[in-house]
Amino acid sequence: MTDGATPEGWAPEIGPDVSLEEVVDKAFDYRGNITVVKTDGSETVGYLFNRNRDVPVPFVQMFDVDGAGPHTISYVDIRAIRFTGRDTAAGNSYAAWLRAKEAAKAADHPEKGSGSTPSRGA
Amino acid sequence: MSVPVSQMWAVASYVIRQKLAGRKRYPLVLMLEPLFRCNLACAGCGKIQYPAQILRKHLTVEQCLAAVDECGTPVVSIPGGEPLMYPDIGRLVESLVARRKYVYLCTNAILLKERLEAGLFTPSKYLSFSVHLDGLRDEHDEAVCRDGVYVQAVEGMKEALRRGFRVTTNTTLFDGASPLRMREFFDAMMDLGVEGMMISPGYSYSKAPDQEHFLRTQRAHDLFSTMLSNPKKRWRFNQSPLFLQFLMGKREFECTPWGNPTYNVFGWQRPCYLLQEGYAATFKELLETTRWESYGRRSGNEKCRDCMVHCGYEPTAVNHTFASWRGFRDTVAATVAGRF
Repeated sequence: MTDGATPEGWAPEIGPDVSLEEVVDKAFDYRGNITVVKTDGSETVGYLFNRNRDVPVPFVQMFDVDGAGPHTISYVDIRAIRFTGRDTAAGNSYAAWLRAKEAAKAADHPEKGSGSTPSRGA
Repeated sequence: MSVPVSQMWAVASYVIRQKLAGRKRYPLVLMLEPLFRCNLACAGCGKIQYPAQILRKHLTVEQCLAAVDECGTPVVSIPGGEPLMYPDIGRLVESLVARRKYVYLCTNAILLKERLEAGLFTPSKYLSFSVHLDGLRDEHDEAVCRDGVYVQAVEGMKEALRRGFRVTTNTTLFDGASPLRMREFFDAMMDLGVEGMMISPGYSYSKAPDQEHFLRTQRAHDLFSTMLSNPKKRWRFNQSPLFLQFLMGKREFECTPWGNPTYNVFGWQRPCYLLQEGYAATFKELLETTRWESYGRRSGNEKCRDCMVHCGYEPTAVNHTFASWRGFRDTVAATVAGRF
């Protein structure tokens, strides 16, 4: 993984070191788009919102980048998963907000802040 | 009394019917999330961090109504996202009211005044605007990471009250909250004329930007005890007094994760409103295939250890009220005396 905090950009090699189940769990927990490479070579890019291993044929479910879906893909049909999209939960807007507040105070601004939410990850 | 008698009766008769039918697990309030899109990005919220195509999605009114019919709760809470950004919110609320569902529209109220002026809603005993306010102006604006929101929300609430709508507040408390300021907040809300207030400690969403200020159990007990130990007669809370006693550390309850099931663009969320461990296609599938024994404090699940949030424990409190004469007596006594 490229970063301890987020798997953004991660392209794991599924094998002895990391299992498909582990990668699927990471993808399920990830708040960005991913790319699923299927065993037939085709790729689906989108948001993986569900996975179920407690059924006879384990599967994942995704909405693609156009929002279409859900697309259901069986575990056995997955060759690889790449974490290609931006992690929307990464960064810290609260810290950015606090920084903006402190900056406003330091500048002795009559208002308490800019009145707008600091951009995410700012 | 902060909840209309008709609503109390609807909930009570529903719970009694479930008990007479011998249902071990039954839902009480449907958490219906028609969209995740929001016009705020609050520090303690883990609900809105999704890629653009997910934030653009929303349920259709027909999907919402099918979910409501499927789980059959007497109360439907509409959080989100910001439900006033849902394009069909007027039609959805109208349809729910026609079904005699008690609707809590959970809003940050930034758009409330505008939507009311547009004539989107009609006052009804079935409809309450449940306005998210995490305290007085400074505390609330800090919690939602934007100045001016408190003032906007209060303007919207005044407009709703003026037009004859039911208005309640919902407040999430984090570590560092001042009991004294919260008591001032309760006074301010009563002065404003809200019907009742709902309070709860925040949940430590793993995706929330601020991970440092969630309340742990003992600190939550201390905070709520200090805040509520000598409540003013005029304060009205729109929630079970037994739940408030639980927050104060006076009662031991276990979570009822199926009590407030959640339906959104992904389906029926497992296991509860706060945790996302997967989705079921139907409510029946959710009830029958979720490993409920893996959740709640007694399960040892670390994610549940410090959770005291109302979506899991208020259904327990309500169930406790109707589980024995003692529970019923305690609820009536606390309600009548106004003490917890």
